[in-house]
Amino acid sequence: MKNIVLILAILVGLALASSAGTISGQVSGVAGQSVVYVDTISGKTFPAPAQHPVIDQKGLVFQPHVTAVQVGTTVDFLNSDSVAHNVFWTSIGGNKKLNHNLGTWPKGDRKSFKFDTPGAVPILCNVHPEMSAYLVVVPTPYFATSDQAGNYKIENVPDGSYTVIAWHEGAKNQSKPVSVSSDTKADFTLSK
Amino acid sequence: MLKRHQITVLLFSIVMLALFASMPTPVAGGANPGYQIYAIPAFSRQYGTSCSTCHVDFPKLNDFGKAFKDAGFKFPKDDETFIKIPPVMLGSPAQKELWPHTIWPGTIPGLPPIGLRFNTFFQVVGRNRNNFNLQTPGDPTAPFIPRTDFQSGLFSIFMAGNFGDDIAFWVDDDISVGGASAGGLGDGYLKFVNIGRHLKLPTDSLSLRIGQFELDLPFSQARSWNLSGWDIYDQGNVSSVNSILGLPTVSNSFSMSNAAQGVEFSGGHTYRGYHYSLAIVNQNTSGGAAATGNNVPPEVAYTSDSNFKDIYARLSYRFNLERDPASRNEVQAAGASGPRDHTYLNLGTLYFYGRSVQRFQGQDNAGLATVLTAREPFYRVGGDFSFNYHTFNLFGQYLYGRDQNLLPLLPVGFPPPPTGLLRGSPASFSGGFLEADYLPLPWLMTIMRWDAVHSTADLINGIGATPDKDIGSFVSPFRATRNRFTPGVQFLIHANIKASFEYQIRPQQIVYDPTAGTALTGAFRTNSAIAGLEFVY
Repeated sequence: MKNIVLILAILVGLALASSAGTISGQVSGVAGQSVVYVDTISGKTFPAPAQHPVIDQKGLVFQPHVTAVQVGTTVDFLNSDSVAHNVFWTSIGGNKKLNHNLGTWPKGDRKSFKFDTPGAVPILCNVHPEMSAYLVVVPTPYFATSDQAGNYKIENVPDGSYTVIAWHEGAKNQSKPVSVSSDTKADFTLSK
Repeated sequence: MLKRHQITVLLFSIVMLALFASMPTPVAGGANPGYQIYAIPAFSRQYGTSCSTCHVDFPKLNDFGKAFKDAGFKFPKDDETFIKIPPVMLGSPAQKELWPHTIWPGTIPGLPPIGLRFNTFFQVVGRNRNNFNLQTPGDPTAPFIPRTDFQSGLFSIFMAGNFGDDIAFWVDDDISVGGASAGGLGDGYLKFVNIGRHLKLPTDSLSLRIGQFELDLPFSQARSWNLSGWDIYDQGNVSSVNSILGLPTVSNSFSMSNAAQGVEFSGGHTYRGYHYSLAIVNQNTSGGAAATGNNVPPEVAYTSDSNFKDIYARLSYRFNLERDPASRNEVQAAGASGPRDHTYLNLGTLYFYGRSVQRFQGQDNAGLATVLTAREPFYRVGGDFSFNYHTFNLFGQYLYGRDQNLLPLLPVGFPPPPTGLLRGSPASFSGGFLEADYLPLPWLMTIMRWDAVHSTADLINGIGATPDKDIGSFVSPFRATRNRFTPGVQFLIHANIKASFEYQIRPQQIVYDPTAGTALTGAFRTNSAIAGLEFVY
């Protein structure tokens, strides 16, 4: 009896281990960070995370420059500078009707906004036009931001077939079908 | 989507442009834009930020730019967190503990904070442009004024920054002022910001500036964004020619826009609250440097022509009209769509006192030759205002000038030259300007301006005047009051490249026969259309 239970436990463990994998690879053709994510999965919805990512304004620079969040996430915008800043965006995913301006707030304060629409959001400051950042709102919790060399790794992706998309500032998105089983490689080459 | 009032102003701008393009031949001309404009690209490089952080339409400063300048060309707070090119240490801060047994440590900018500026102009003048040559018919040397002209422009270098410990500096020089002409030093000074802290005075209540600088005018002529300067700031005071001397008895070329050499104490801020300045500067009647002093080292030209030092004082107060008290205390107001300039009303006054000098050939009671020195006290007094609401700025200046007038004394029976001087009627002038600037878009500024100068002496002196006087002297004015209307528009192609257009509806003029005194023309206007293109980097 004990042996049967042990065998069953091992079989369940093996089954669980083999049902989630990773997608990793490199985004080339462009310099700097990219975002790679699994596109919408038909029939599946995912609860938005409770944690609020923070985009800071410090030293006249948005930090970080690229942030990826799951749709439905609330993002906090912090002003750590002793000068007045502003946060606005002209569109979400190219939809100009979704433009928004958060206004101005003093040092140490933050304003929040919930992003319910997937797409890339160019974050700007209207008093310091050289400042910019990108917020990439993705439809699933399976995404990753690459390093400066373009290397990325998406963890805990359930086995299955998906469409994976690579995004980079100023470049055309590239998508490709990926079948995930354990560790899966997917490289992208983007162009402007 | 533009709002209605923005559309209205944009249409006005288009009409102005159409006016420039389709104007029937404007009459006469000869205006030389020549005014210098300074925005500091070195600061853009140093802080990695756009020109528009400090400028609304360079070089016009926004509230943050004024605060930056007041702070000694650095960010008003936490400067070290913003600077991208770290300064070079000339000594560790810990060295301060060793002083006086070491040199007090300071810093220099990490890269030379150099900005370069070039601008070029295009001018259109009309059929009356050669009217002034009627005074010298048949003279082949009379000046030729072309109908249109691409002017060779100005090229200048400027540097400004901070040496640490609140010591700011500024140097600018015109390398070229057109053609083969070389310019000269503009401003060159050190400013010890907030030295009042050593005397336990309130913060920013006392600063000291030393060197050559433009007086602390309510609106800077040297750093004006207009293609032509404000006329009242260039007005000197010259009386009519005296028949005994053959010279005007008041010949004061001092104008408010002259560069001054001396020291200036100042305090407060230009972006909020009170602001004052008190300057002690050279007295210079001719406006230029005197001859080289060959016998007294250093053998350089002297700017002073008198032992007397002039005094300039200015006081202003800015009433912040923002409703939100938190916004009032910040450098910029917190707008719904981002930071913006405050809504404010600034009121100010200025006073300048000097004593001009003229030296004439005279004789004593024994008939021996002597030098008669006319020391004529003069003053300039004025009031100014500036109202700002979002991107609309209405401002103006009134100025009154008065010079004592000493006349030659020639007793009955004495042949010239005179034996002394006696007080006559003072020479005076007045005038000012009113200007409205509006930016319907961040890259587009529309300007409407009115200048007026009233000077009876200029009217009298203009009769029989020669046509080759300096620009701005308004040769042969038709009336004692010269009114000028100047609409303009400026486009920022990039934050550091600007195209400007200005149409000057100038005062009426007339040409007289210099010997007979009869009129050779009817009244006409010397209107000018000027286009400028400039870049800074």
